[in-house]
Amino acid sequence: MISKEITVALAGQPNVGKSTVFNILTGLSQHVGNWPGKTIEKKEGIYVVNGKRLKIVDLPGTYSLTAYSEEEKIARDFVINERPDVVVLIINAPAIERGLYLLSEFLLLNVPIVVALNMIDVADDQGIHIDVNLLQRYLGIPVVPMIASKNKGIKELISVVLSLVDGSVRYSPSLPNISEDHKDLFIELSRSLNGYISPPYLNRWFITKIMEGDPDVTDKMSKRLPPDIWNKVKSLLREHEDSLLAVVKGRYDWIEGAVRTTISEFKRGQVLFTDKLDDILTRPIFGIPILFGILTFVFIITYGLGLPIQYLLESSMSYVAGYIEPFISESFWLRGIVIEGLIGGAGTVLTFLPILFFFFLIMAFLEDVGYMARATFIMDRFMHLIGLHGKSFLPLCIGFGCNVPAVMGSRILESTKSKILTIFLTPFIPCTAKLAVVTLISAAMFGKKGIIISLILVMGNILLLGITGTIMSRFIIKSQHMPFIMELPFYHKPNFRTILVVVWIRIKAFLEKAGTIIVLLSIILWLFSHIPGGDVERSILGMFGKVIEPIGKPIGLDWRMIVALMASIAARENSIAALGVLYNVKAEGIRNVLPHVMSYASALSFLVMLMLFVPCAATLVVMKQEMGEWRWFLTSFIFMIFLSYLSGAIVFRCALILGL
Amino acid sequence: MDNDIVPLSLLGEGEEGIIHLISGGHKMVSRLASMGIISGTKIKVVRNIGGPLIVTINGSRIAIGRGQARKIAVRRLFDKR
Repeated sequence: MISKEITVALAGQPNVGKSTVFNILTGLSQHVGNWPGKTIEKKEGIYVVNGKRLKIVDLPGTYSLTAYSEEEKIARDFVINERPDVVVLIINAPAIERGLYLLSEFLLLNVPIVVALNMIDVADDQGIHIDVNLLQRYLGIPVVPMIASKNKGIKELISVVLSLVDGSVRYSPSLPNISEDHKDLFIELSRSLNGYISPPYLNRWFITKIMEGDPDVTDKMSKRLPPDIWNKVKSLLREHEDSLLAVVKGRYDWIEGAVRTTISEFKRGQVLFTDKLDDILTRPIFGIPILFGILTFVFIITYGLGLPIQYLLESSMSYVAGYIEPFISESFWLRGIVIEGLIGGAGTVLTFLPILFFFFLIMAFLEDVGYMARATFIMDRFMHLIGLHGKSFLPLCIGFGCNVPAVMGSRILESTKSKILTIFLTPFIPCTAKLAVVTLISAAMFGKKGIIISLILVMGNILLLGITGTIMSRFIIKSQHMPFIMELPFYHKPNFRTILVVVWIRIKAFLEKAGTIIVLLSIILWLFSHIPGGDVERSILGMFGKVIEPIGKPIGLDWRMIVALMASIAARENSIAALGVLYNVKAEGIRNVLPHVMSYASALSFLVMLMLFVPCAATLVVMKQEMGEWRWFLTSFIFMIFLSYLSGAIVFRCALILGL
Repeated sequence: MDNDIVPLSLLGEGEEGIIHLISGGHKMVSRLASMGIISGTKIKVVRNIGGPLIVTINGSRIAIGRGQARKIAVRRLFDKR
């Protein structure tokens, strides 16, 4: 007997423990991708019990189901179009009113719902007691109490889900009504739209959304309705400007009914641990230093532990390369492709793993414990000035070590536009590899003054980051100004199992997608720098450099520097190697050769271009992956090339004028 | 005792009030409603020192931007002494 796969969608407001439940159910079977055409994470997994196979889909956490955010649209479109067999709505008991609000939205979609009432232990601590049976009776749908963090109630939840699917449990949901004073409007709209609302949309949901002023539904309606009916609907809505409030009030009356009959509170006025901690963490005087302290800690752990492991991996890869080499040493090309392209590329990917591991670990830990919201709160006012969200701060700072985790860290940003802007600005942050190259060259050219020049370059980058961010957010990306409202969840003990599963899944995703592309790119880039002549000068890259040399002249770059710039895409350090080869640096070392072949003005121009040039291949790959659409990625790519060229030109001209 | 109506942004830390009116567009009202912030609910200010405010409402802690806080009219509740 083949049983059909049962689709269960997990829904809930943020911070209710939805990911804990998802991780317990799906464990390592989960697969992370993106919702089609979007940059928002889609998580799916499998749970098998009693020969039944459940496909668990983790819907984005949303406070409601309006059309004002990508997450909400994804959640509601999934339920409307994919029609899962069951929706498990996770409500956190201490904030039951808000959870019931979201429930009222889901109930309108006419899909079987089971309420999972999570964190009842926390509610107990706060003196809130909820009578689950009474609640179940009031709502008319199953309610399962649980403490997901202690793995309690999950089995019961699944058994109720299965009972719901096979119809063996009572199901007669009671929905909220529109408030009395607007009932007529509802009836009027029903009458007017009769026959125009077709599947998969439901009458009650559709009309409620119209009364809410939902932009998506309103738009659909304006396209479907004949003009005279559309005008009638528009005038009806104009007469009742506060129809949204009527909908909201109706919901809250229903919620109040539930709360009144099922909840009893005692032990009021407790000062929670969260209050005490927030007293310190949310005051800028303490909060900001603590944030910087934590940032330092993140850095130390990520690079302090990550780098040694990275060296280990690098030397293992060299060992592997050395082992294979004798077997293919005859063919220059085979050796190049296998040793430098394939093994080199795979080595590069592997060496990112320790850094990513520790970075993801700490980010997941901070998020789980509840600290991220506080960090966001404190930094928001500053980040806002350059058009960014407070959450962008941590990922961007990590960029100083390496841009790859910075781009991947932008996943924590909920709004697509914030995420894209953050990723767009990440290349401005100079990573240690870039800094190493710049420091080396500026020391070679300018001696002791090189340090000052390097510092000025870094500050220049940050300044440009600010300016670009401000301009982009105001004119181009135009983040829709989601009202700044953010929940600060209670601090709670981290769930290490959840954290480790999340980290593992992310690393696996990185390896599978970005990893393979980076290896391919390494091979291609090696080929480009060696075909057809066998060395850089006589390669495609070299010839390209010579061809576009005229473009470089006005800004002081000769073809060698152009080639070195392009070589930096493979890996930042390659530009030093390229310079060394192209300028024939041998025993004397670059420090002695460079000042003789490069003018100060050219060097400055070159350095500025290096600082602002497109990031390394690995970063480019994850940028495209996280940004989703090609247009954003290409815009960033072209923009960075253009900006670095322009800056190089300006610096070169100024240097010449100053007589350097 | 006369309870005055003030914007939420003007309540001091520790002060409580009942939300009287929210003057905002559909997007803001919807979002606030889904987080429990509607007229008739009691709200308490925890942090108000410039920048976003932190309030507690129905047991949840929420940070609200100052611009939004200005649009939420609150009937101030005074301590009964």
